[in-house]
Amino acid sequence: MTATARMAMLDLRTIAPYHYQSLFAFGASVLVFGGKPVWLLPGLVLIFSAQIAPFPFRVADKAGLETLYGVLPVRRRSVVYGHYLWAVAVFLATATAGTALALLLAWAESVPFGGRTLLTMLALSWATYSVNIAIQFPVLIRFGYTSGSVLGTTLPLAVIIGTLYKTHLTVASMQDWIALVAVVGLVVFAASAALAVTADRRRMRHRANWRTA
Amino acid sequence: MSSDLAFALRGVGAVVGRNFALRDVSFELPTGYVMGLVGANGAGKTTIIRCLLGLREIDTGEIELLGHRVPAPADLRQDVGVVLDHAFLVGDWRLTEVERALRPFYPRWDGARYRQLLDEFGLDLRAKVKDLSRGMSMKLMIAVALSHQARLLLFDEPTSGLDPVARDELAGIIGDFLLDEGHSVLYSTHITADLDRIGDYVTLVHNGRIVRTGTKDEILDAYRVVRGGPDDLSGLVGVELIGARRTSSGTEALVRTEEADLLGGDVLVEAPTLEAIAVHIGARAPRPEPRPLSTGRIA
Amino acid sequence: MRVVLSNSTGVPLYQQIKEQVGTAILAGELAEGSALPSVRALARDLRISIITTTRAYTELAAEGFIATVPGKGAYVLALDSALVREQLLRQVEDGLQTALDAAGRAGLDRDGLVQILDGLIQAERQDTIQ
Repeated sequence: MTATARMAMLDLRTIAPYHYQSLFAFGASVLVFGGKPVWLLPGLVLIFSAQIAPFPFRVADKAGLETLYGVLPVRRRSVVYGHYLWAVAVFLATATAGTALALLLAWAESVPFGGRTLLTMLALSWATYSVNIAIQFPVLIRFGYTSGSVLGTTLPLAVIIGTLYKTHLTVASMQDWIALVAVVGLVVFAASAALAVTADRRRMRHRANWRTA
Repeated sequence: MSSDLAFALRGVGAVVGRNFALRDVSFELPTGYVMGLVGANGAGKTTIIRCLLGLREIDTGEIELLGHRVPAPADLRQDVGVVLDHAFLVGDWRLTEVERALRPFYPRWDGARYRQLLDEFGLDLRAKVKDLSRGMSMKLMIAVALSHQARLLLFDEPTSGLDPVARDELAGIIGDFLLDEGHSVLYSTHITADLDRIGDYVTLVHNGRIVRTGTKDEILDAYRVVRGGPDDLSGLVGVELIGARRTSSGTEALVRTEEADLLGGDVLVEAPTLEAIAVHIGARAPRPEPRPLSTGRIA
Repeated sequence: MRVVLSNSTGVPLYQQIKEQVGTAILAGELAEGSALPSVRALARDLRISIITTTRAYTELAAEGFIATVPGKGAYVLALDSALVREQLLRQVEDGLQTALDAAGRAGLDRDGLVQILDGLIQAERQDTIQ
């Protein structure tokens, strides 16, 4: 396992004691979107995954894990990329569970849910998620959860939801170009990771103490 | 490349915020000993330790850690353990989860040793990190460091907030750690009582500068405590009163041993304790420019 | 090996160790060849610095009482008769100096001092006979 993967595992173990809250968020999302199985996946990713991905930052802030990251025999780059790998893992896990659930619900409610629709929804999910993380993570890494979280979590979400609302999306209208947006999302995600390494270096330079300065 | 130095700082300078900087910091610790880094809060001890770990960039000078130039390969931190006054772990982790979380990062992790140490320290495997008292969480971090076979332990103010029993236990743990002559300890503190007995080397820090460094005996020999009447110790030429405390009943200050001879006979001169040295040096007002000395020392 | 340190005598710790170990060796309590704890083990047990115990051992070795083996510790050397004699003579001198200081304070002159010395020798001879 590479150092990056180990850091992603550490993120998982960081929030492991709080799995009840996570399951609750998952359940809530399912309840909200249960009636519209086609939209369950993006809804799940938007509400659940977007909360879980930055969760380790919240715990780390409170526990002073920044010191642990500094003491562990891993490069700073691995620390930063580890968070991004964690975000990807969260998406993949949600997408898998969400797809299965959505298909099940669609079958139960006799809602048509074809392959093309599924792919479109996956692309939409990734597009919103990747942009969300791409904006959030550098802010969290630079300023920590306490300072950065209000700006970091609500702003991207507001931007995304506002855009979706404004454009009055339907599945049909998205099909043609959503794949492109998903690819853009991937690029933005990668660029964000590179930016985050710089943001992390900035933060380290300003830290005089072990606790969040 | 094995080195006979646990670490060395040479001419290190680093700007920390607007009002504080490390300047011309030079000191080193031979492998196998414990050094006390003594100074008041805000003197720069934590900054020095963070620079040593490579967590902070320095502007000038060089740092050597376990024989490697810093910034060193991240792997070097396999050999280093850091102990603070708080456990920097997730509060809701049980001590078993601590091992599960940290073990993947340390190929040399000795699980049996971890359990044995927790047992020795009286820590329950099922306890949560947040339930540990200050003394216990310090012992947990020591157990973690020893379990991954650290060669160098860096303590930053480990005993602030600890009762004397816990502080004494720590002295015993350090003694055990140093049975291996390849092990070294840096111990930053403002409580000099901890170092009075077990300290081999002492480095005095004040305002981001090194005041003096050497063996504990050298440091104690370098100064004298002088006490006199309210007027006895004024208007002296060639003698610097360090951190003079003047009251209506008298004056007490620290002087360099070589200058003590210049004092008049009415003044009481005696050997200092580490605490007296730390107190008087810490009480000095910050100077804008260092007084140049041929040896480059500040005081 | 019994080493009991005092914080209040004003005698440096390394010297206390030196004297106690030296005395024990001279008195035969520490036999030739017996192993002493390493400087680090001694430091750990007495809760003092390694440099202090090292200094004590270094001086003991210089005076011929012990030999140190790097990495293994130290052991007691055979008592050199010249060395023993030298140490004992030093004890006599120290003892006499103490007596001389007390005599001075008591206002005792040389004859008075010799009188006491003769008395002590006499008493010891009686003890030996009995």
